[in-house]
Amino acid sequence: MTREEVIVEFKNHLIQYLNLLDTTPEQINNEEPLFGGDLGLDSIDSVELIVLLDREYGIKIKNPTEGRQILVDVNTIVDYIIANRTK
Amino acid sequence: MFLKDAFAISPQKTFNSTFEEGDFVVHESKTFKVIDADYAEFIPPSLLRRMGKAVKMGIGAALPLMKRNAKTDGIIIGTANGGLENCINFLNQIVDYNEGMLTPTHFVQSTPNALAGQLALMYDNPGYNVTHVNGSLSFENALVDAELFFSEQENPSSLIVGAVEEISDYNYNIDLQAGRYKKEQLSNQDLLNSSTDGSVCGEGASMFIVASSPEDAYAEICAVEQLTYPSEHELSERIASLLAKNELNVEDVDALVLGKSGDGRYDGWYDHVTQLFPNAEFTYYKNFVGEYRTSSAFGLYLASELVRNKLVNHPELMGNISKQPKTVLLYNQFDGVRHGLILLKRLV
Amino acid sequence: MTKVFVTGLGAISSIGTNLEEQRHALQNGISGIGKAQHFESNYKETLLFGEVKLSDDDLSRLTDSSTEKEYTRTTLLALYAFNQAIENANLSSDQISLQSTAFISGSTVGGMCYTDELYADANMKGEASNFVQSYEGSDHLLRIVKRHQIKGFTDTINTACSSSANAFYLGARLIQSGKADRVIVGGADSLAKYTVNGFNSLMILSDEACQPFDLNRKGLTLGEGAAYAVLEAEHVCSDKYKYAELTGFGNANDAFHPSTTSDDARGPVLAMERALKKSNLPATEIDYINAHGTGTQNNDFTETVALKKVFEKVPPFNSTKSYTGHTLAASGALEAVFSLLSMVNNELYPSLRCSTPNEEFNTPPIVTYQQAELKNVLSNSFGFGGNCTSLIFSKCF
Repeated sequence: MTREEVIVEFKNHLIQYLNLLDTTPEQINNEEPLFGGDLGLDSIDSVELIVLLDREYGIKIKNPTEGRQILVDVNTIVDYIIANRTK
Repeated sequence: MFLKDAFAISPQKTFNSTFEEGDFVVHESKTFKVIDADYAEFIPPSLLRRMGKAVKMGIGAALPLMKRNAKTDGIIIGTANGGLENCINFLNQIVDYNEGMLTPTHFVQSTPNALAGQLALMYDNPGYNVTHVNGSLSFENALVDAELFFSEQENPSSLIVGAVEEISDYNYNIDLQAGRYKKEQLSNQDLLNSSTDGSVCGEGASMFIVASSPEDAYAEICAVEQLTYPSEHELSERIASLLAKNELNVEDVDALVLGKSGDGRYDGWYDHVTQLFPNAEFTYYKNFVGEYRTSSAFGLYLASELVRNKLVNHPELMGNISKQPKTVLLYNQFDGVRHGLILLKRLV
Repeated sequence: MTKVFVTGLGAISSIGTNLEEQRHALQNGISGIGKAQHFESNYKETLLFGEVKLSDDDLSRLTDSSTEKEYTRTTLLALYAFNQAIENANLSSDQISLQSTAFISGSTVGGMCYTDELYADANMKGEASNFVQSYEGSDHLLRIVKRHQIKGFTDTINTACSSSANAFYLGARLIQSGKADRVIVGGADSLAKYTVNGFNSLMILSDEACQPFDLNRKGLTLGEGAAYAVLEAEHVCSDKYKYAELTGFGNANDAFHPSTTSDDARGPVLAMERALKKSNLPATEIDYINAHGTGTQNNDFTETVALKKVFEKVPPFNSTKSYTGHTLAASGALEAVFSLLSMVNNELYPSLRCSTPNEEFNTPPIVTYQQAELKNVLSNSFGFGGNCTSLIFSKCF
C-alpha cells in the first residue's frame, strides 16, 4: 500500500468511526489539526481514534496522553500507522 | 403552572403542522415510528454526528419552542429509557468484542440524561436540569418537578418540560417477550378497536414551555397526580379529591383525553374513568402514536391542541370531541400498575 | 417555610453494611477497594472495585427476598439500604403507606446490571430470562413500592452521578411545598459490565485504587452501593432524633460537554452558590465539604477551581470515593450519609491516597483523622450531561 492509499483508507475510517456527516476524504486536509480545528473533534473523539487504530491497524495506544503526539493531524497518524501497523 | 407552547415529533406529521390540518399517517407495521424532521437543517453536523434517535427527536421537538420563546430557567425531561439504540449498540460491543476496546460514544449517548444535557449545551443554559426515569410516570414526574421549581422562585420563570422515548430493537424485543405487544399486526386505525393482549410499540418526543405566570399562556396545568398499584376504588377516590382540590364538579370536566391502547387486559381502566364523567366528551391518542412509556406527554400535546381549538375536527380523533373544551382531564396507565392524571384548564 | 429534617439513614457500600461499620472504616482510613469477589468481568483481574462484600444470595437472604426471582442486584442493594433507613427512622408500615409518604430514588444502571442476560433478551437469543421485566431504570423503585405498599408520590431520577443528590433536592421541595410530610430519598447502583466497560472506553478508569486530588491521579475506581435517608417535615418529627436539617440545595448544568466538566467550573460553582443561597448561609459558615472527588484528572481539577471560586478560604474537604469507589447514582446519597456521620460525630475522615497533593491547587484535602466542631456541611455531586448538584446539611442540636 502506498502512503497515498493509506491516507485515503484512514480518512474513510475516520469518517466512519467519528460519523463525520457529509464529509468526504478530499475535504480533510492532511495538515489540518484534528483537535481544535474545523473538524471540531474533542476528547471522546481521541478515544474513538485510539479504538480505530487498534481495530483497523492493530496499533495499541494506552491512553489519550500517549496519543497526544500521534493524533495531531492526518500526516502524523498515517506516518505512525505505516511505521507501527501490525495488520 | 401555565402552558405557553407545545411541540411534538411523533408518528404523525406534527413537526410541520399538517397534523393540525387533519393529516393522518396510517401505520401498518409492528412499530409506529416517528415521521422525522430534517434534523440536519437545524442541528450542526458536529453535534448531529453523535446523537442517537432519542436525542435527535428531543432536540427536534424542543428547538422550535426555544426559537420562538424566551430563554427558560431550566430543562426537565422525562424518559423511561433514554437512548436505547446506543445502549444496545454499546451492549453488543461489550459482548462482540468480549469486553475489549470499545468506542465510548454509544455509552455517553445512551445515558437517559444525555438529552437534557445536550439541550443545556446547545442553548447555553446552566439552569435547573433534571431527568426523570420513573417508567410510565416519568413525564408526570417532570411536570411535578416543574411545579416545585416554580414554587421556590421569587421571580416569574419558565422551563422546558418534555418527554422522549425511542423505538429500538432492544426495547421492542424485551417488551415483546414481556407480553406488552400484540402478536398480530394491526393498523393504527384499528388499534383501539382491538381487545387482544398487548398494544403496538410507538415513540415520540413532546416538549412544552411551562411558566409560573399566566402571561402569554393559553392553559393552566392545575394538577398532576400519580398512583402506583391502585385499586379501581382508589383511582376513583383520587380523581374525586383532585376535583375537590380544584373546586370542580364532575360536570365541569368537559373533555377526557385517555391513553386507551387496545390492550384488552387493561383498557377497562379507561372505561372505568369514562363512567365517572357521564357528561364529558372524550378522545384517545394512541391511535396516533402507539404505546410507549411517556406517551402521556403526547396526550398533553393533544389536549393542548384541543384547548387551543386546533384538531377538534380532526377526522381521526376518536371519541366525540365536538367543541373546544374548557377543562380537560388526561388519564393514562401502563401495565395497570402506574397511573397518571393531568388536569388542564383553558385560560382564554 | 417548613423545615426538612433527616430522621433516618441507611447505607451499604464496600466499607460496610451498616452505619457503624462504615463509620469505623472512615475513622480508621480503611478502604473498601480491592479485587472483586462477586462481580463477573474480564476486568476482574486487572481492575480494582469498591464491591459490596455480600453476594446476591446473601443480599436475598438478608432482605428476605429469596423467592423474588426478578430482583436484580441493584434492587437487592436498594431494598437493603431502604429497610435500614426506615428502621433507623422508626417508621411504621402504616406511615410508609400513607398518601403523604413519598419515595424518590436515583439509579443509572438500574435493572441493566446483569449485562449478559440483557444482551440475550435484547437480541432474543433463547428463552426470556428471569429479568425480562426488570431492565427499566426505575425497576428497583417499583419493586420496593410494591413490597412496602408505598401509596404516595414516587420518582426515579437519572442525572448520572448526581442522581441521588437530586432525589434529596426533590424530596426536600416536596416537603416544603406541603405535597408530602415524609420522603425516603436516595439511590442505588450495582457494579455492571455496562458501566465498567463504559467508563473504561472513555479511558478514565484507574488501574490502581483511585487517588482523588493527587497530582498523579489516574482515574476513577468504580464501586457499588445504596443509601437512603428519611426526610421529614418539622410537624411530623418533633419528638424524634434528627441527624440534621437539610438547609440548602442547588442544581445547575455545566453546559459544556457531554462527558467532561468545564475548566471554569461554571456548573459546579453555580450548584454550590445556589445551595448556599437557599440555605441563607455565607460561604464562611461551611465547615466541611464532601467533594465529588472522582479521581479523574478532569473532575478533580474542575472541582478544585470551583472550590477556590466559591470559598475565599476552602474549608476542610475530602473524597470518600477513596473508600468506596465511585458508586455512581448511589454516590450522592452515600456521601450525604457520610457527611452526616462526620457532622453528628464532629469528626473529619482522611481522604485516602492523596500522597502528592497538586501544589498548583494549593488546597489539599484532609489526609488525617481530625475532630472538629461541624455546624454546616456541603456535599457535591457532578455527573455526565453537565448535571451538578450540591446539598447543605446543618446541625439542629
